[in-house]
Amino acid sequence: MATAAFSTSAGYRDLRRMVLGQEMVLFIAIVLLFVVVGLINPRFVAERNISSIFLGNAYIAVAAIGMSMVIISGNIDISVGSLIGVLATIAGTLALNGVPIIICWLAPLVIGIAITSGMGAIVAYLHIPSIVVTLGMLSILKGGLISVTGGAWLTNLPPEFFLSQTRLFGIPTPIYFMVGLTIAAAFWMRLSATGRAIYAVGGNVEAARLSGIDPAATVVKAFAIHGFFVGIAAVLFATQLSVIQSTVPPNLELTIITASVVGGVSILGGTGTVIGSTLAAVLIAAIASSMIFVNISPFWMRAVQGILILVTVLADLWRRQRQRMGT
Amino acid sequence: MSVEARATRAPFAYHHELLLLIVLVLVVGFLAVGTDKFLTVDNMLNQGRLMTEVALVALPMTFIIITGGIDLSVGSIMGLAAIMLGVAWKNFGLPLELAIVFSVAVGAVAGFFNGLLIIRVRVPPLIMTLATLALYRGLAEGISQARSVRGYPEWFFVLGQGEVFGVPTQLWILLVAIIIFWIVLAKTTFGRSLYAIGYNEEAARFSGIPVDRIKLIIYSLSGTMAGLAGYIFVSRVSTTRSDMGTGLELDAIAAVVLGGTSIFGGVGTIAGTVIGFTLIQLLKNGLALSGVKGDATIVVIGTVLILSILVSNFLQRRRGAGG
Amino acid sequence: MKRLAIIIATTTALTGAALAADPWDGGDDLPTNPLACDDTPGTVAAKDYDGGQTTGAADKSGKEITLIDIPKLVGVGYFAATTEGMRQAAEELGNVKVTTDGPTEANIDDQITFIDNYVTQGVDGVLFAANDPVAIAPVLKKALGKGIHVVGYDANSDPDAREWFVNQAEFNGIAKSLIDQMAAEIGDEGKFAIVTSTFTTPNQARWIAEMQAYQESCHPKMEWLETVEAQEDNILSFNQANTLINKYGDDLDGIFGMTSVATPAAAEAVTQAGACGETAVVGLATPNAMRPYVESGCVKSVVLWSPVDLGYAAVYVMRAVVDGDLSPGDTEVEAGRLGKLQVVNGSEILLGSPFVFDKSNVNDFDF
Repeated sequence: MATAAFSTSAGYRDLRRMVLGQEMVLFIAIVLLFVVVGLINPRFVAERNISSIFLGNAYIAVAAIGMSMVIISGNIDISVGSLIGVLATIAGTLALNGVPIIICWLAPLVIGIAITSGMGAIVAYLHIPSIVVTLGMLSILKGGLISVTGGAWLTNLPPEFFLSQTRLFGIPTPIYFMVGLTIAAAFWMRLSATGRAIYAVGGNVEAARLSGIDPAATVVKAFAIHGFFVGIAAVLFATQLSVIQSTVPPNLELTIITASVVGGVSILGGTGTVIGSTLAAVLIAAIASSMIFVNISPFWMRAVQGILILVTVLADLWRRQRQRMGT
Repeated sequence: MSVEARATRAPFAYHHELLLLIVLVLVVGFLAVGTDKFLTVDNMLNQGRLMTEVALVALPMTFIIITGGIDLSVGSIMGLAAIMLGVAWKNFGLPLELAIVFSVAVGAVAGFFNGLLIIRVRVPPLIMTLATLALYRGLAEGISQARSVRGYPEWFFVLGQGEVFGVPTQLWILLVAIIIFWIVLAKTTFGRSLYAIGYNEEAARFSGIPVDRIKLIIYSLSGTMAGLAGYIFVSRVSTTRSDMGTGLELDAIAAVVLGGTSIFGGVGTIAGTVIGFTLIQLLKNGLALSGVKGDATIVVIGTVLILSILVSNFLQRRRGAGG
Repeated sequence: MKRLAIIIATTTALTGAALAADPWDGGDDLPTNPLACDDTPGTVAAKDYDGGQTTGAADKSGKEITLIDIPKLVGVGYFAATTEGMRQAAEELGNVKVTTDGPTEANIDDQITFIDNYVTQGVDGVLFAANDPVAIAPVLKKALGKGIHVVGYDANSDPDAREWFVNQAEFNGIAKSLIDQMAAEIGDEGKFAIVTSTFTTPNQARWIAEMQAYQESCHPKMEWLETVEAQEDNILSFNQANTLINKYGDDLDGIFGMTSVATPAAAEAVTQAGACGETAVVGLATPNAMRPYVESGCVKSVVLWSPVDLGYAAVYVMRAVVDGDLSPGDTEVEAGRLGKLQVVNGSEILLGSPFVFDKSNVNDFDF
């Protein structure tokens, strides 16, 4: 992979052009999927099913926004699934103990930011690779959660706790979160000084440093903002069902990282957008749902999922290579 | 280039391994005082048996991470190879000996496919192997149709459950593999090329190192070892299942990075990795024997992972940017 | 861009076409033994003891024993409940110490390592719920060989790798309860789908196979739509149930949840789709997780044995084995508050029939 170092203006234009294309590939893939599967089984494109696909996976898309920022900064967070499990359990436990609902919703954000900032600080100031820090944190959070809760179900939660089950103008609330946060994050990444600094640090640390950016502070900020999104994802996750299982959702970190990288975020840092990662989260969810609609043998579902993810990635690379040759 | 890379990086590796070795000795000493069941020949050999699969996968993973790559699909390759062993024997009617060779070959092909797309289409290794993590597990599920293959003849279990000269059979294989990987990495041009690629891939290319061919070899090697681990695992547990090896990739990566191999490439040794997986296995075992429960044990291991790298970094006061 | 579109379209179409065939139910290949459609109890062929034996076990009859319990995984409500039952039994008996430990994911390799460690540590007995009946056998045999007593519960191993197995309920009994319950709610011509954990989970595959056999012989006009996998993941279970509801619409009369995670998630999906009363949810689940749905009336009743009693019985059986009160050939065993339990099928101890809880008694339980 060419780690093109985007030095401000010219690189920034390149970035935008490239990114629009990347998002386009995913968007076309989604539309194609809906058209093809919709022709086979019209119920797939019913408003109800589309709403289900968005609703059931909004928390993944939201977490993938934060993950994308971390990856763009040249790092990764493997602990994200365990963190969501821990934060969801905290939110539920607070609600059960009669804490005001708004605090139950805000606590995961605050704790999420605190934990990820801590990890970011270890990465940035103590120079430990993020994969090591977050791999270690994965074990600590998971083991700690099981030690404390034993996996007990949290039930009898107050009805007003269930944020994800509410609707606004007939559309489930999580969808607003997913769309709104994606757009806000996309603008923020492009327009704010910190957002641009995250790209710069991920692209080329030395160049970033020379242009007056503090790489360590930027990495901590990227992790902190990631914690904010993880906190929101945890609240959406915790309030979706009427019961919370106080355990770590299996393989959630892989799903979130997959959404980010299929969305075009380069694991080498410096490139990618949060719009891409949200589109990828939707695509992956739609693929999973579509396979039930077209009666693919359940044994082969995961293989087909793997192939489709691979095809999307290859299509994107092929497009980029062609673009490089063309210009 | 490669010489320069090694010259600047070697002291780090040396210190980290020494530190890890001290930690290992301390841990073993501490646990041995805690319980007399821990430091016995029987227990040590048995732990060797239990860690062989992860260890076999961690060796080529060290090579890959040194080049700045990663292979997340090893657990799925292990599952696929295990399934193919059973299917080739039961459904294709191959003799069991051939089925074994076939399953390891499936692992090699799976790794080769990873490597091929990584070098030809320039898919970043993390994305490629994330996709094949899903794909290979999916193939294992689809081919097995959730059925297990059992009922192997007695000789088949010698590798996984038997002993040779009083030592678990698979430990001999692991020992040979460690020696080969160590020699290749430390003593050959091939090994030096791995460091050069990880240190600066473009520079390595310009200096005439066949970067693509080397990458293809190491990813194929990783698949082959995962296939071999699959065979050993089937022999140890007497059955095949499509979910075998789930999570293996993270165990292997944890061992490699604990062993001091830098995830950014260019740094790492086989000795470090060997100490890494030994330390993790003995910690798990020793803590269990001392009455610490599994959920607390993984907390300890997570902490050790972070702290050991932290202390190591602190000791050598490396300067550098975050990330 | 055109080439790309073609690639994606053909891949989708090809895989779709190639794999669309082969409707599948989720059961295993083992022979089934469906019960009679009325309440005639199943005939059980007498079978000789087929369990294993310890070698060189110390006689600890009446003395304090230390037990280790290794469930499929820790950190889930179901096995927290079996642990609680074990604690109760140990407290009653007074001369048993039991600890639960195990993997955080239902992983065969980790479970084997845990058992291996405790065999090395030296306990008097191992209680287990197997993730895989065959894979776990070598390490259990090793335990038997070292004089450690081995009793299974919830999920069996090969019979000769353990001495006894406490069976929560016969597979065909569970299958009959579930199908009868569903038929009562959606009628004899209703259509249903299943949400299970994974196809490789032995208990679930066995139940599904028995359900299919029983449904074919006793409710032949019911229609089996499909079975989907949802791991042990509650949001995934919720999504899968939603997909089934959206796919079949009014054609879907009922959903079976095969795990204590899938059933509440399916109930949630039905509730949120506003389909309570139209789509029935029947399944295996624990009362705590089902309470909101049973109380709201969306779920009429839930089938389960008591996991607390299951853990409780396992400890009593182990104590009886150590004390010499349960030996090959015996036909029953005393299990504290549960009274006398029957030995069936050679070396299995039957906890009893599954029971059904509903609105009237869901609050009597806490597990």
